[in-house]
Amino acid sequence: MAVAIGVRVRLFARLREQAGFETEALEVAPGSTLGDVYDNLRRNHPALEPNRDVVRGAVNQEFSDWDTVVSQGDEVAFIPPVSGGF
Amino acid sequence: MRYDVTTGPIDARELEAAVAHPGAGAICTFTGIVRDNSRGQSVTHLDYEAFAEMAVPQMRHIGQEIKDRWPGARVAMAHRTGKLEVGEVSVVVCVSAPHREEAIAACKWGIDTLKESVPIWKKEHAADGTYWIEGDAAKPA
Repeated sequence: MAVAIGVRVRLFARLREQAGFETEALEVAPGSTLGDVYDNLRRNHPALEPNRDVVRGAVNQEFSDWDTVVSQGDEVAFIPPVSGGF
Repeated sequence: MRYDVTTGPIDARELEAAVAHPGAGAICTFTGIVRDNSRGQSVTHLDYEAFAEMAVPQMRHIGQEIKDRWPGARVAMAHRTGKLEVGEVSVVVCVSAPHREEAIAACKWGIDTLKESVPIWKKEHAADGTYWIEGDAAKPA
């Protein structure tokens, strides 16, 4: 069994500015959830939004729940509440 | 059906042409424009950022739902990204349908749903500072 799986993290808007990166490769333990990935990311980037209630996660471009388990090679995106329009 | 996230100007007439057909007696077009004020402050310009690989499928999903709810409807949507000045068009939603009631209702539902669920963000450059707009909240950038 793999000791770690690799995911590609993408951040947008305010979260991107807080963390100071747009995309980053991250290794997490097998069985990690979307929530685990975010917590992991926050340990490396403490400026990142602490309140997960105002963040949504997406796996491979689909909105996903925090308890979704991620897989090797997944694209994991974290996004703030949207504000498109006018 | 046409769904675009684009850095260039949006031509509403072009989207109308994309949904027009002989069975459609009505086309409803919503055009969103950058306003010169927000939250009581004057606004100089906006920066829009999109998660394009997700925004376009999300728009397509809204279009599909419109077609399910209002049979016979055709949909086109475009959202602009990058720096937009006051008066520029940021978003267009265009729906054709056999009759005006469906076209108007579907277009309203389309723009309301786009604002709630399509991953696009605006950064507002206002007289009192720069803010990321998140839903109804404005957070200092």
